[in-house]
Amino acid sequence: MSAAQNNSFDVVIVGAGVAGALIAKQLGLAGKKVLILESGAGLPTNINGFVDRFYTALAKVPEIPYTPNLFNPQGSANLQDPTLMNAPRPSVLTLGSNWKDPKQSYLIQDGPHAFGSTYERVAGGTMRHWLGTSLRFVPNDFCMQSQYQQEVNWPFGYPQVEPWYGEAEKEIGVSANVADQAYLGITFPPGYKYPMNPIVPSLVDDAVIQGVNGTSFQGVPLTVTNTPAGRNSQPYQSRRVCAGNTNCIPICPIQAKYDPSVTLEQALNTGNVQIWPQTVASEVIVDGNGRISQINYLQYQEPGGPQTGSGSVTAKVFVIAAHAIETPKLLLMSKNGGRTPNGVANSSSGQVGKNLMDHPLYLAWALMPKPVFGYRGPLSTSGIESTRDGSFRKQRAAFRIEIGNEGWNFPINDPYTTTVDFINGINQSGLNPIGGGQPQALFGPGLVNSLNDRLTRQFRLGFLVEQSPDSSNCITPSTDKTQVDHLGLPRPKIKYDISPYTRAGLGAAVEFADQIFDQLKAQQFTTPPAADDPSAIEVPVNGKQKRIKYFGSGHIVGTYCMGTTKSNSVVNSEQRSWDHPNLFLVGSGVFPTVATGNPTLTIAALSLWAAQTIKKDLA
Amino acid sequence: MSDTPMDLFVGLSSVLTGVDKSMLAPPLDPINIKQTYFDYAQNKAGATFQQLLSIYQANQTLPPAQIGDIILNQSGDDIRYLARTVMLMWYLGSWYDPAELKKYNSSKPPTDPVPAAAVISSAAYTSGWSWNVAQAHPMGYSNFTYGYWSKLPPTLQDFIGGGS
Repeated sequence: MSAAQNNSFDVVIVGAGVAGALIAKQLGLAGKKVLILESGAGLPTNINGFVDRFYTALAKVPEIPYTPNLFNPQGSANLQDPTLMNAPRPSVLTLGSNWKDPKQSYLIQDGPHAFGSTYERVAGGTMRHWLGTSLRFVPNDFCMQSQYQQEVNWPFGYPQVEPWYGEAEKEIGVSANVADQAYLGITFPPGYKYPMNPIVPSLVDDAVIQGVNGTSFQGVPLTVTNTPAGRNSQPYQSRRVCAGNTNCIPICPIQAKYDPSVTLEQALNTGNVQIWPQTVASEVIVDGNGRISQINYLQYQEPGGPQTGSGSVTAKVFVIAAHAIETPKLLLMSKNGGRTPNGVANSSSGQVGKNLMDHPLYLAWALMPKPVFGYRGPLSTSGIESTRDGSFRKQRAAFRIEIGNEGWNFPINDPYTTTVDFINGINQSGLNPIGGGQPQALFGPGLVNSLNDRLTRQFRLGFLVEQSPDSSNCITPSTDKTQVDHLGLPRPKIKYDISPYTRAGLGAAVEFADQIFDQLKAQQFTTPPAADDPSAIEVPVNGKQKRIKYFGSGHIVGTYCMGTTKSNSVVNSEQRSWDHPNLFLVGSGVFPTVATGNPTLTIAALSLWAAQTIKKDLA
Repeated sequence: MSDTPMDLFVGLSSVLTGVDKSMLAPPLDPINIKQTYFDYAQNKAGATFQQLLSIYQANQTLPPAQIGDIILNQSGDDIRYLARTVMLMWYLGSWYDPAELKKYNSSKPPTDPVPAAAVISSAAYTSGWSWNVAQAHPMGYSNFTYGYWSKLPPTLQDFIGGGS
């Protein structure tokens, strides 16, 4: 960036993820001058570097393809020390015994349990490693308090957001059909069609359909539904058709799955949008009238290099789209020399950083009686969605059930674990032999046939449980002067627990998993968590407490909630700060509840809605 | 019968992995992953690797099951664990140090569920046989086309070659 560059824009957006990208594109098309400040690297010329990093990594975790490298540059297995990185981010590799080590974990995990979801700081954002699931929320997700006397209501209902779902499905390119998706009160305008036909189901899906469709459990029907997907079932937006690489997370190697780089390119092509990469917003400045006047930033060139610049940018409207942990961190860091002692956008409600939510995920895995041929197709093509709503929500959290197509890759890192078991004569998988006993060390045809038998029968279910909003689950900037990044900015400190309502939902998930596996005549191998696992909790199962492990779903939600009054929320239904009329906060942080669907489509819908409001403001 | 070091390596690898030689070393082989693995093993375990090839050479006319038994059960720990490392190289495209594998067979195995390893190269990962033996493809590297996952895969024999 040169010193002579223009520092005044119609709109400044912090964050080049899906929310920032969609808003930038809409405003750019409307002729507005837009700047996006991106804390991480900008758009690469291609994704070859990302893909190669994935191929050569042993730990193929969601973050692994992206920058900065999770491991130190010497190629050692040591994780980078976040203190030495300019825009560090969390990794699932710091959810073991190292979860509270600030030289390993970017998040300062203050417990009592681990927050298991991660995010990216790179152009394209966290949606770089999304699965592609593009579910609409069900109508009752928006009115939990009035319908079930639990959680809170959103400031609008499904009918108000419905048109924006349609717009978001067009932007992302969603493959689905209306007949499949019109359940639990979800409606569509007459004649509506998704942009593409549904992704065809897998053989795993077929086996689950045969075992559960038409049955019910605990009064809840079990119905498998094709999952609407942000991946191409036919050519769309100049991108290829899905070839079933079974790698949507962490990266689709042929970009048949949408990611926000698509929209960022379109935004840049308007000629009205700029992205400044490696530019970290450091403070939001409020003028004497309560309006945002500028955002200060710090710049760097190399992920672990020195700070190379600093400055400020001004605009008529500011949008913070830095996801549900970095956005509240920035707001709470912005003290304006003591004029905003509680941070920006936080004087009326005090809710910034609070109500951190996720979908705690219960993972259950089993062997089918016959081959279902996993490790093929998109990671997931169907789910059981009929469990997302019902009167049971008065007592316990709801969930959706994701059917995995990737064998036991998620549960036990297969095929690695089972392959090593059969070659080295050990039994970490529980499959060598099944039921315990002396492990065999195999070679030749015996090895081939044993591996084939086990790997082709593997499958797993993921239960994404709605987490209730609790103000004690929160993110604040660490005040410990040693808990900073390389630019000296504070790192996010997280307090996280899971409420009795949500634990009851997790307990029900265990009961549903057991039931479904019974119906499928599948042999379950779900293992209990290790003694020191920070993601282990007690949940009620069949009237007794059972210790289980939950995973993060990557659905980071709720830290600058929208609502109906300035005292109960950070932003209004327009996603406009109650305290600062030219400040919009977008992304999943505005969600008052986490609801029962993966959040991305709703993030996109609300972002497009916010873009329209901003355009009106600027007209 | 040709006895070049590479021929011996491919023959040995086929016996151990259960994958036909024509699949491990196809006539048209632009990736030439066998050379990558040969060089890697030679670099990491030179003398023991040569000894392993010699044992195979001396026994290569025996039935495969007998060759495997000699290598894995009758030739000592150094040969046994290097042979397992070679198998894992073909199956997972990664180098599992023989000494690490041996630790997992001790009375006090390490607590990490899987031994430490290193991916040899991008091509090694995308050439991994575990996924083929599952009648699938390495995750992130599919040569199939849209919708294949809704149909039965080719037979196991189609993937690993050989057979009757």
